[in-house]
Amino acid sequence: MAAKEERQAEGLLRIAGQKKGLLLTASIFSILSSLLQLAPFYAVYRIVEEVMAGARSPSAVDGDVLVYWGVVAFVALVAALVALYIGGMCSHIAAFDILYRLRVKLTDHVACVPMGYHTRTSKGELKKIIEVSVERIEKFIAHQLPDIVSAIAIPLLLIGYLFGLDWRLAVVLLVPIVVGFWIQARIFAGEAGQEAYRSYQYAMEEMNATGVEYVRGMPAVKIFGIKAESFLTFKQAVGSYRDIAMRITMICKTPYSLFFVIVSSLFVFVVPAGVLIASGSPGNQSFAITLILFLLITPSLSVPLLKLMYIGGGLRDIVEGNKRIAAVLSEPIVQEPDSPRAPLAYGIEFRGVRFAYEKPDSKHYKQVLTDVSFSAREGEMTALVGPSGGGKSTIASLLLRFWDVQEGEILIGGVPIREMGTDRLMDAVSFVFQDVHLFYDTIEENIRMGNREAGREQVIEAAKRASCHEFIEKLEHGYETRIGEGGTYLSGGEAQRIAIARALLKDAPILVLDEATAYADAENERKIQQGLIELVKGKTVLIIAHRLSTIRMAEQIVVVRDGSIVERGTHDELRDKGGLYEQMWVAHRSAASWKLGKRNAAAGTAEDATKNGREVRARVLLD
Amino acid sequence: MSYWTNISGGNPKSLWPSASAALLDGIAKIVPAALLVELIRIVYRSFAEPEAGLDTGRMWIVAAVLVGWLAVMYGTNSILYDRSYKAAYDVSAEGRMKLAEHLRGLSLGYFGKRDPGDVTNVLLGDYGQVEHTISHNVPQLISAIVLPALAVVGLAFLDWRMALAMFVALPFGLLLLALTDSLQARLSESHVRAKNEASNRLQEYLSGIKEIKAHRMNGQRFERLRFSFDRLKRASIRLEGIMGPLVMGAMLLARSGFTIMIAAGSYLLAGGTLDLPSFLLFLLVGIRVFDPLTVVLMSYGEIRYSAYSAKRIMDVRKELPPEGGAIVDPTGEIRFHRVTFGYEDDKPVLRELSFAIAPKTITALVGPSGSGKSTVTRLIARFWDVQQGEVSIGGTPLREAEPERLLDGISMVFQDVYLFADTIGNNIRVGKMTATQAEIEAAARRACCHEFISRLPQGYDTPVGEGGSTLSGGEKQRVSIARALLKDASIVLLDEATASLDPENEAAVQTAINELVADKTVLIIAHRLKTIQYADRILVLEQGRLAESGTHDELVGQGGIYSRLWSIQQEAEGWQVK
Repeated sequence: MAAKEERQAEGLLRIAGQKKGLLLTASIFSILSSLLQLAPFYAVYRIVEEVMAGARSPSAVDGDVLVYWGVVAFVALVAALVALYIGGMCSHIAAFDILYRLRVKLTDHVACVPMGYHTRTSKGELKKIIEVSVERIEKFIAHQLPDIVSAIAIPLLLIGYLFGLDWRLAVVLLVPIVVGFWIQARIFAGEAGQEAYRSYQYAMEEMNATGVEYVRGMPAVKIFGIKAESFLTFKQAVGSYRDIAMRITMICKTPYSLFFVIVSSLFVFVVPAGVLIASGSPGNQSFAITLILFLLITPSLSVPLLKLMYIGGGLRDIVEGNKRIAAVLSEPIVQEPDSPRAPLAYGIEFRGVRFAYEKPDSKHYKQVLTDVSFSAREGEMTALVGPSGGGKSTIASLLLRFWDVQEGEILIGGVPIREMGTDRLMDAVSFVFQDVHLFYDTIEENIRMGNREAGREQVIEAAKRASCHEFIEKLEHGYETRIGEGGTYLSGGEAQRIAIARALLKDAPILVLDEATAYADAENERKIQQGLIELVKGKTVLIIAHRLSTIRMAEQIVVVRDGSIVERGTHDELRDKGGLYEQMWVAHRSAASWKLGKRNAAAGTAEDATKNGREVRARVLLD
Repeated sequence: MSYWTNISGGNPKSLWPSASAALLDGIAKIVPAALLVELIRIVYRSFAEPEAGLDTGRMWIVAAVLVGWLAVMYGTNSILYDRSYKAAYDVSAEGRMKLAEHLRGLSLGYFGKRDPGDVTNVLLGDYGQVEHTISHNVPQLISAIVLPALAVVGLAFLDWRMALAMFVALPFGLLLLALTDSLQARLSESHVRAKNEASNRLQEYLSGIKEIKAHRMNGQRFERLRFSFDRLKRASIRLEGIMGPLVMGAMLLARSGFTIMIAAGSYLLAGGTLDLPSFLLFLLVGIRVFDPLTVVLMSYGEIRYSAYSAKRIMDVRKELPPEGGAIVDPTGEIRFHRVTFGYEDDKPVLRELSFAIAPKTITALVGPSGSGKSTVTRLIARFWDVQQGEVSIGGTPLREAEPERLLDGISMVFQDVYLFADTIGNNIRVGKMTATQAEIEAAARRACCHEFISRLPQGYDTPVGEGGSTLSGGEKQRVSIARALLKDASIVLLDEATASLDPENEAAVQTAINELVADKTVLIIAHRLKTIQYADRILVLEQGRLAESGTHDELVGQGGIYSRLWSIQQEAEGWQVK
């Protein structure tokens, strides 16, 4: 446990290492500032000395000397603050620059890992790591690192100085320091402390989890009028978090208070020793002066020592975030071939593909594709149909190498896609999925994503072919209209058409389509359909169809169920077979004729519809 | 003052025990300082009267008292420790529970409007910050205010001129700090803007990660994101760079009192109106008196940060729950009377909308996206109150309706279904908490989900939702219909319940919906016009206004919007991609 945390701390130091120069400067100025902050105390000492010297005849006290040291104290304070500022700026510039680099690195990295990572990890979580966990590092680099350096350096320098002044008093001073830290170390290392800390972590996670569920489920709670239960679980979690936090506080109470009182009252320990020595030689006035210097300076020793303790507590938070950052960065990226091969043709072949989203040792492990082999000939349309969850979408995403297959191979024009390299693969394939994402940019740029070299005319041409030119022209700023966030929001159907224009502009030889009309209203649906007809011309098309009527004319229909191919052929061939496709076709026809309400011809009870396909088919035939 | 109110969750009195302990602890710390002064006076006397020598006897007494006083300080420190942590954990625990209770009363519209992540953050993160500030910053603030105040009073009795010199610059320091506040507010604003911008860009990037991979726009190449990170970096550095000197300036001004006092002292000494021991006393107190204030200024950023957290909490708590105690009869007529409503004040979504839905009839809402269809269903469930006009059910205006009882009479099936992290059986039971297992299974059968539930490893006891096994969209949809069947409410609202399903699921969900709507007052939104062909009445919305209404046959005959949509869709139905 301890070793692991040490390694995490090392990770933090490595990150900090990128800005060695700035951070070294920051640390030097931090020490310098701390030293300068001691100067006023030295000034006081010199004034006291002057006062003592003039004790017998107060009129002999030189006012100029007093004012001189008063000014010295002030100037030293100014210098200390300037040094603090310079050091602080160095460490902050370093910190914010490191945050910047880390964020760029993280966002770059997450775009290179397989898509699987993104389906596994929630966007919110990833966003939190890139925003919050990274932000925490700022505290470490900008504040804690220079603080630690000066909190260690200052006591060492001071104690060294005090040893030089009077080693006997200095030794006495060391005793409470050592005792204080020993008391501290005992709680953190002790079994009770560790145990309490673990249950604290647990209680906090529990509270967070129930809190998230409480807020997210609130609409459902209200709609169904659930009175208390979810509130009670959260309340319980909050209560037990408080109880455990209080228990820990109680465990730490005695050692903490002891440490605090001892370390913040160091000078008290010097007094008896000083008096003892002074009693030995009552005439020794120079020792008395030294004692005063000791008493003036020792309180300044307490501040950095107390700081060290607080920093220790704060580090834990960052270590936690650092772990998450490290986990993201250690996620393996998609392997690129050393010498990418370019395919000469654009037929697609799946050869004995087996695939699961999880690793075999995961408890959620589930084989999604068990043995998928088929080929889609160049220039032809191949449709994937089958029940949801059967693996259609998986097949389409594997072609884009969003994941790598565990067994078997996927080839384009005879070249395995692993050997093509991401760039060539992405040039060869374009896709239109159901969930279109438009970027916060102009419509023109959103279309141009398909081909960055395209000129304005080409963009407009693509928009026309995708039937979106018309609605774009109607927008206030036309192609310059910004999408989202204070700009214009497009409807799902319009977004689809933009995506089609994008794909048209890209003009890749292979097209992957997830039949995209589901969300659209009537008018949009028609337009999307027109766009798609333009898009598929002359391409090798792999289409996931939801409405079977859409793909009746495909050259090949592949029926996928439970991760393997159960039937394949043309529409007519498959209907004649009377297998799964035929059943789906019948279901499709009856769904299409579904009407809500009492007069519905196809509405039997639930049992009828699912169990008894034949009867439904009979009804459809009667229609 | 509002700071104290906010961080204590509206009850500043709850901070009193810890504040008084901090006061006690602060006073206890004065004694060693006084003893130190006494020690130095003893040494001084040995210089003033060398023949008497060092009074070691008296020094031993001082040393003994000092060591003994450690026990007293241990005592006061323990009390402070106890009380401040107790206050911190109590305030946050109580606050969290109160806020949770408060959230329950807020309208559904509030949850639709705000990102649930934000609300969760207030409930968990912001209270964590408050916890920290009560246990750490509050005692600091108390010492910073009280100790200098005590010193001013005490020292003024000794020599008011020296006391004046010592504190003369302090008000200027505080003034500078106050001025800093407004500058800080402006700078923070641009910093917050940069931060939000970066956050939005990151959201955009992560949401579009699929396209970014496909179009090879990752990392460096996605410049918008990189620029926003860069701007955030600059804004952060600027904030530090400008705020630092100001806070330090305030510190310096306060502390300059020390030098002014020495100058004043040397003048007074020369004039003979001040004796050396008093001067020594001022010197020794003066060098330490601003320490607590410095500690507070050093953690100024942290204190401000927690003040923002506290304010966010109070903002949520200021949100008013919908009021009203009238009991609505859900079997009555639903009426919209000249309703105008918008989510933002100047952008009405519904304009002067009037219609009535007779009990136990099926009414369909049709219109292009953005025409206000979903808003109509939300107003019926009183997610929001209307700005003009009136929505009523069974003659009771919803503005006066008891919100929870109203929802008892309504079932809603939407596209997105929320499942609790619980068993699938309990997720159905949500419809009626008192339902028996037999009732649950009956509802599941009617909603076509019994079959797939039976196939799950633990049947009805299979955990679902976060961390449990995941259900497909169609399966979730059917679970939500089973809930609604179990609830058996008189009003049923259906919003695109079948839009994104594959044929097999769609057929099953359709059957389930037909079970649900029998003998109910139904309002349905559907894109597929065929689905609602036999509705008793179809309302066509366009830009928040009622454009047409009637039965399918009437509307097709009219040759208006509906008839155009109908013919387009008829065409689309038979469409083939090739």
